[in-house]
Amino acid sequence: MKAQQAASGWKRQLKNEFSAIAFLAPFLIPLLVFYIWPLLRGAYISLHSWTILGMEKYVGFDNYIKILTNSDFYKYLWNSLYFVILVVPIIISLGLLLALLIHRKIPFQTMFRSVYFLPYVLSVSVISFIWLRMFDSKHGLVNVILEALGLSSVHWLTNPKAAWWSIVIATVWWTVGFVMVLFLAGLQEISQELYEAADIDGASSLHKFRFITLPGLSSVMKVQIFFQIIAGLKLFGQVQIMTNGGPGDTTNTIIRYIYVTGFKKDMFGLAAAQSTLFCIFMLLIAAVQYMVVNRKES
Amino acid sequence: MAVIFVIPLVWMFVVSFKPEGVSAITMAEWTDFSDLTIRNYAKVLVESQILRWTWNSFVIGAVTTLITVIISSLGAFAFSRKNFKSKGFLFILCVSGLLIPTEAMLIPLYETVLSMDLLDNMWGIILPSLTNPLGLILIKQFMDGLPKDYMEAAQIDGGRDFRLWWSIYMPLTRSAMIAIGIFYFIMSWNNFIWPYIAINSEENMVLSTGLPTFLSNNVLHVNTIMAASAIAAIPTMIVYIFLQKHIVQGVSMTGVKG
Repeated sequence: MKAQQAASGWKRQLKNEFSAIAFLAPFLIPLLVFYIWPLLRGAYISLHSWTILGMEKYVGFDNYIKILTNSDFYKYLWNSLYFVILVVPIIISLGLLLALLIHRKIPFQTMFRSVYFLPYVLSVSVISFIWLRMFDSKHGLVNVILEALGLSSVHWLTNPKAAWWSIVIATVWWTVGFVMVLFLAGLQEISQELYEAADIDGASSLHKFRFITLPGLSSVMKVQIFFQIIAGLKLFGQVQIMTNGGPGDTTNTIIRYIYVTGFKKDMFGLAAAQSTLFCIFMLLIAAVQYMVVNRKES
Repeated sequence: MAVIFVIPLVWMFVVSFKPEGVSAITMAEWTDFSDLTIRNYAKVLVESQILRWTWNSFVIGAVTTLITVIISSLGAFAFSRKNFKSKGFLFILCVSGLLIPTEAMLIPLYETVLSMDLLDNMWGIILPSLTNPLGLILIKQFMDGLPKDYMEAAQIDGGRDFRLWWSIYMPLTRSAMIAIGIFYFIMSWNNFIWPYIAINSEENMVLSTGLPTFLSNNVLHVNTIMAASAIAAIPTMIVYIFLQKHIVQGVSMTGVKG
């Protein structure tokens, strides 16, 4: 009797397991085929000399040695990181500032929110086209405005330093409204009573910001910093269209480097090894962020 | 500040209506309405496949969104309402996609799609973007918030799991699904690098990858290029103006709790 019960319990459990996995299958199958499998396949390809046609020859860790002993990989990885260092603080702080400005019950609140968010619904090609023309050294609006203000014009896309700022400005304009909307949602979740209590205690607005607003937004902030860093490391479209990686290779990013190695120079094995190293780098970044966030909490 | 934000868009529209070679730069040019023309638009529509690209973007966006939302909801149901042994492991597997983006694995993804003979094909774009972990997590959180009574009541009625999901959990999370769906659609519409690599024939391109082909065409003037940008921008801008509330709500949900 007991054995029978145990058997039927075991059967029920198995059935339960199957029915759960049946619900997950439509999600799991594409995940395995288009995410997990390519990750493994990438590691395999990276150990070969490989072309787009798939002509393969096992070369062991040659590709990795080639990459790690050549400074190009580090250079372009640094370019991507440099972009992250430039763009993330601006996007986060400007997004927060806009959210704080709009959050107060000002007239046309919705209109302002719409205006700041609007560029986000445009594709990267459209925003790159617009800014490519805005930054044109002769006919671009940016230089015309600079000159009208009595400042000297800048060769935005051909001066190495200015080229990065062109990309940063275009990117901030494109996505800051998105971050702002998230901060607005975060602000709405902070209890109004906290502010009222602080008012009774006679707290200054700076104090309220430091001790109520910022802690209230900390979870949004953490998630956003994480996503913005990942998004920054993925930079490709803007540089591909606006600067083509130039001038020289100043704005060439790691993704564009992998793209050129694989699809332009037809060195698939080498590019796959670069991809694998970059994936490991992304995981490290995620791990570091996770540790930093957790240490602050404990 | 808001004015600075709008200027690039206004400039795009103004330049797109100016005759070739005329940029809207001086105040006189901004306010001169006598020379406005729609010739740039006509040129883009006739000489490129921009309408076709818009249609491709729309179809890919709609199909991706629909499938992603449904499979995410099914998965969310399993994680939120069922207890099973491999739950912890499978959940980590499902959300791992947040850590390594497609952009970091272009080469092996290309190989995979090539081996399935799906390059230069709409499905080669749709299939790799179906498993977005954000939607799964968000719908799961929504379902977690629903009372368990539904589950028990339905089980007493002899309702099966699938019917439970279909007739109770899916309708109850409808608002979340719509918001996430709109968010997915924007993401798909803006997707650039993968279609850029996976599609090579002009007629199969999407809007975001079709536009850059104008750059290699030296004959085209700034004005024509701005007209093309405007054509590409108008559909999403119109959709945004009408669905603003849903879009903002969707974005807030995906970003705050993700």
